[in-house]
Amino acid sequence: MNIKKIVKKIDEFFNLSKKKQIKKNKKINTIREKLINKKYSIKKSLKKVKKSKEREKLVLELKAIKNLIKKATID
Amino acid sequence: MIKKVAIPSLFLLFAYFIISNANAKVIVAGIAIFLIGMHFMENGFKLFSGGALEKILEKFTSTIPRSIVTGFLSTAIVQSSSLTSIIVISFLSAGLLGLTEAIGVVFGSNLGTTSTAWIVAYFGFKVKISVYAMPMLIFGVVLRFSNEVKYKGIGDILLGLGFIFLGISYMKEGFETLKSSIDLASYAVEGYPGILIYILIGAIATVVIQSSSATMAIIITALAGGQILYISAIALAIGANIGTTVTAIMGAMTSNENGKRLAVAHFIFNVITALTTLIFIYQLSDFVDYLSTFVGIENDNFILKLALFHTVFNLMGILLVSPFIGVMVLYLKKLFIPKMKKSSKPKFLNDAVIQVPETAIYALRNEVINLHDKSLKAIIHAMNLHREDIFSNKELKDIVYSSNVKLNTNIDDIYKETLKSLYSEIVRYASLSQEHMNNEERVLVGSMKTASRKIVKSVKEIKELQKNMNHFILGKNLDIKDEYNLIREQIAYTLREIEILRKDDVNEIDRLTKMEAVKIKIENFEASTNEKIDDLIRTNKIDAHMATSLINDSSFASHICIRLIEIANIIWISDKETQEIGEDNEY
Repeated sequence: MNIKKIVKKIDEFFNLSKKKQIKKNKKINTIREKLINKKYSIKKSLKKVKKSKEREKLVLELKAIKNLIKKATID
Repeated sequence: MIKKVAIPSLFLLFAYFIISNANAKVIVAGIAIFLIGMHFMENGFKLFSGGALEKILEKFTSTIPRSIVTGFLSTAIVQSSSLTSIIVISFLSAGLLGLTEAIGVVFGSNLGTTSTAWIVAYFGFKVKISVYAMPMLIFGVVLRFSNEVKYKGIGDILLGLGFIFLGISYMKEGFETLKSSIDLASYAVEGYPGILIYILIGAIATVVIQSSSATMAIIITALAGGQILYISAIALAIGANIGTTVTAIMGAMTSNENGKRLAVAHFIFNVITALTTLIFIYQLSDFVDYLSTFVGIENDNFILKLALFHTVFNLMGILLVSPFIGVMVLYLKKLFIPKMKKSSKPKFLNDAVIQVPETAIYALRNEVINLHDKSLKAIIHAMNLHREDIFSNKELKDIVYSSNVKLNTNIDDIYKETLKSLYSEIVRYASLSQEHMNNEERVLVGSMKTASRKIVKSVKEIKELQKNMNHFILGKNLDIKDEYNLIREQIAYTLREIEILRKDDVNEIDRLTKMEAVKIKIENFEASTNEKIDDLIRTNKIDAHMATSLINDSSFASHICIRLIEIANIIWISDKETQEIGEDNEY
């Protein structure tokens, strides 16, 4: 966990009620699930695509999705 | 000079009149308390509803009948047609509502104001309302001390109701005691001349008091006190309806074309309704008598009959005029053609809705997008490129390499003449609107301010880049020219991707992914540029002076691109949690 994430966690702890924190975590989990689904659909598309330009675009998106999934993981 | 003398003289004369006449003093004090009550009620609903009224007006206005019903219900609940009108005008200006639907809401709102007459007529005379006024005022004041906006809103509503009840009670008392000294009803002129005189009095009274609800309260209390005849009260009510349109037209004179269109539609509606009622006044009065027996109103209860008449003639107006809304819209659009606004003036910020959080946030967001689009144009021109090329399907590399004509864009001038004043207006509006918001809304508005700051910072940074870019692109060294063209391509790529993701049909997860992908590409680009610079120095293709310029400028370009993504994250991702995932906050 990086320093920014720790500061954010502390900030949330003091400013968000337990109920609101649970609600927020639930929402983040839903977003994470959507991102995971998108990751699988990109992987599927990658297998079908042959043109290098499109492939490059999908590889970049896959990398982006992986980054986002990491960001959306609640530690 | 006349103004300086006439106004104070009029005030002095009025002061003498109310001091010397005990009954008039009580009645005028009652009207004043009633008006302050209406003001508190309106303010209270603004705070308490927390945007619910705006949501209702936005969602339930798809057809004319729905708009009319929505206008009726919202005005009947908040007891303020001016609040409904303000929101409708701001929605119309923002494009959330069409003129047809807006006119429907205003017609419905006219019917909604008749509920005040029912409240005054029913509660004002059935129960001793002054007894309820005191506790309402006490609790209202206590709740106003709360820090929570919603409780403050409830406090204002209670204060408003308390003052309204107290005002009615004073007016009642004043008219009842006036009866013992003077009988105004005995001066009534019979027939149509009398009716016309009372219509005129009703209209003038409403223009002076600036509230048809207050005029109705006076009419009802005067009727209850036996100071006016039933038929005169009807004529006064018609006059009040005309008076309220005069007030709206006066207000719309300084408004934009949408405000003017709505005010004229309101005027046409009320004049047609009043004329029809005037022609058939006796028949309508008989119809109300007939209707009264069905709704259980006693034959001699003229107060409730007046409230019923008020509702019936407004309803008749809606049935009469609504089928012609389409024609009216065509006429009004021709009558008021929008003027081109100076680009430095805000397009969406309307001070009238600064206290309505939901609408203020909506207006702010649109204005930030306006600032964003104007700044983008400046950024693109500073790079000697054109918007239509960047947002086309053409290859970016081809666009960049073929655009070698210097456009002489003066960023300083653009900033001073257009962007600075727009940015200042956004900051001013955001800060003032935050005063009326809860924590969550304040954070949202804070992020709008951040987005505006980042937009302006990007423009300032492109200025730093522009000088070297023009120098090296038009220079003879092909290697450095290639590098600067790559920088232009990188910024153009970011702008093109943002233009794609802002489209309505793109969902938020796709937007988030696109932004993250652009960020990765920018990071990769910066890393590869740094490697290339080393290679270019080693092979003597560029000198050290060129290299340092390139290092600085590629860093500037990356900052601009990342910042543009951060801005897009704030403006085009509405879900708070999704937005947080996309945040970086490094620039």
